Amino acid sequence: MTTTESPRGEWPRGARNAGDGSGPAWASDWQPLAGAALLDRLRVTGRARPTADPELGADLRSHIEDGCGVEDGRGVEDGRGPSGTAGGPLVVTPGRLTGALWCPAHALDRTAATEFSLPLACGALVGVLFRQLVVTGTIGDALADGVDALAVDERRAPLVEWIGQLAPAERSELRAEVDRQAEGLRRRWPAFDPAWLPRTQECLRVPLAGGGIELVTRVDLAVGRPAGAEASVALVDVTSGCRRAAHRDDRHLHALAETLRSGTPPFAVATYFTRTGELDVDPVTPALLVGAARRCRAGIEAIVSGRDLGATPVVAPAGDGYRWCAGCAEAPLGRVATVATIEPRLAPDGPSDVTTRPVTVDGVLPVPEDRAA
Amino acid sequence: MNRRTVDHGPTAAPAAYPSVVDGALDRVRDGLVEGISSVVGAQVAGDMVEVTLPLLRRARTCPGSVGRPDAPFAWKPVFARRSLGLAAVRACADGRFRGPAEAVGPLASASVDEWRRTGRRTFHWEPWFEGLGDGARAVVLAEATTWAGPLWAAADWAALGGRAVLGGPDDLWTCPGPRTVRLKGRWEARVAPSRPTGGAEGPPAAGPVLVSVSGGIPDGGWADELAFLALVAALRSTDQPVPARVVGLWPEAGERRTVEVDEASLTDAAERVVAVVASVVDARAPGSVAA
Repeated sequence: MTTTESPRGEWPRGARNAGDGSGPAWASDWQPLAGAALLDRLRVTGRARPTADPELGADLRSHIEDGCGVEDGRGVEDGRGPSGTAGGPLVVTPGRLTGALWCPAHALDRTAATEFSLPLACGALVGVLFRQLVVTGTIGDALADGVDALAVDERRAPLVEWIGQLAPAERSELRAEVDRQAEGLRRRWPAFDPAWLPRTQECLRVPLAGGGIELVTRVDLAVGRPAGAEASVALVDVTSGCRRAAHRDDRHLHALAETLRSGTPPFAVATYFTRTGELDVDPVTPALLVGAARRCRAGIEAIVSGRDLGATPVVAPAGDGYRWCAGCAEAPLGRVATVATIEPRLAPDGPSDVTTRPVTVDGVLPVPEDRAA
Repeated sequence: MNRRTVDHGPTAAPAAYPSVVDGALDRVRDGLVEGISSVVGAQVAGDMVEVTLPLLRRARTCPGSVGRPDAPFAWKPVFARRSLGLAAVRACADGRFRGPAEAVGPLASASVDEWRRTGRRTFHWEPWFEGLGDGARAVVLAEATTWAGPLWAAADWAALGGRAVLGGPDDLWTCPGPRTVRLKGRWEARVAPSRPTGGAEGPPAAGPVLVSVSGGIPDGGWADELAFLALVAALRSTDQPVPARVVGLWPEAGERRTVEVDEASLTDAAERVVAVVASVVDARAPGSVAA
């Protein structure tokens, strides 16, 4: 479960006063999928399901390992990870990977959101409520159930304490939004057939470079019997925030991790937005996996080289070294996204009045060509 | 499961007749007793060293921690997931439920009801579970469901019928001697071998297969760790055949690895036990940094 609220702790735009709360502000007649339609959106990708492909898996692994600066666990035998830190393998998580790939300009923003906020609390609460719904099929008093669930996780104790100390007005605000999103979950998510083996908060671990690196991800929901000859697993992340480039990157990383650990790719990876009820689904293809592997390699390179340690490099990496920056994917700094442009059509005898302007792909985030492959 | 590793299905019948020949277990036991006796001299009287799989792993990955006392125990969802998850897989194998997600709720409720009615605790955590709110209970059920999923998918447990035992009491063996050293083995499934063809009453073709489920990624000591489970099982019940094979599942990493049990693997495991006992005794000795 991720919470991608505003770095400054504000509610995402459109989070409140959104009609019945079920749709994005730009489309008042749009209704999120629910029930069987929601599951079909996840299950029916329009593509043939991938099959186990050991060669592809080996290629993906080689691509990542060749670029990570560690070969066959060298440097790890004595308990030192490739980054030179003592105490075992270098653990690479989605968050760390994204952080390592920020460009210096956007890296300045990412220091902001470390304090508790209402959106962050809402995200944590809705995350455990989603898990409750999947397992029990019910949510009672959403705020109470959510706090109960967080309270049995000692790592969440500071957040639980923070929620407990909220002023009445803030608590009411939090309750209203949690209730709204929980109601959306109740209305839209059907019960899963137990034969599909729904699993929540499933951890995926992939040893790389002879154990010197450990790629670790955790998916909010995994459905389908693992590791068949044909893909039967779908992975879903749940987020209470707005759509961000990092969500797509994370779900692609999940696809990569599942492929590397089981030998068979998932057939789909998805992100469900509890705020709006939207479901982004990507069918898993070799191209998607290759893109994820390239990004993973770039991130590990950045971590190993120390570029992720907070110091703004004086010299940028050669070439388009920050092409994986999630911030640039959303808001290019001082430059036009070169995803696709409307070519100026020059009049035969004079200047054109058609200007070059950037457009987005499918009306969503610009996807650099390099990453769209 | 990942096919890159040595891979035998958890329930595949061992190919060979018992690989631990007569007398081998006696030799391993004698060596273990002698080895432990040689390293417990500094053990504080009344102190007990209990060797478990987690301790073996900790001694390898974080040797400085072996002498530290365990934190005070308090129930939390991850402690309850194995017992409830195993019960769920067992109930599914019996045909009572179609999957762990369907099983965990009714099983937890039934055990709490049973405890209320009779005072008998099936899982030990019933009083704690009953005191939780709905949201916290859901976390317990979710943890158990996620834990049970890969084990349920690892084999056709229903087809094995009575040959498969899912969960059970820990294997315990106490080393004879003036100081208390106890070995505790915990496996998730034990699959009895099939009877020889045409001989329903004859002896089994081989020892049972043990299945162990672990978190994380197998490290360099995985073979000794799996063999440790066979060692404790064999020491505990000398009238039972020595396990022929131990299959380890690491669902998070998609790994499945197998140890064929023979005298060499048991000896290696015993030597590792002795080394760990020595390190614990040293760490707890008066004056040591850890103590």
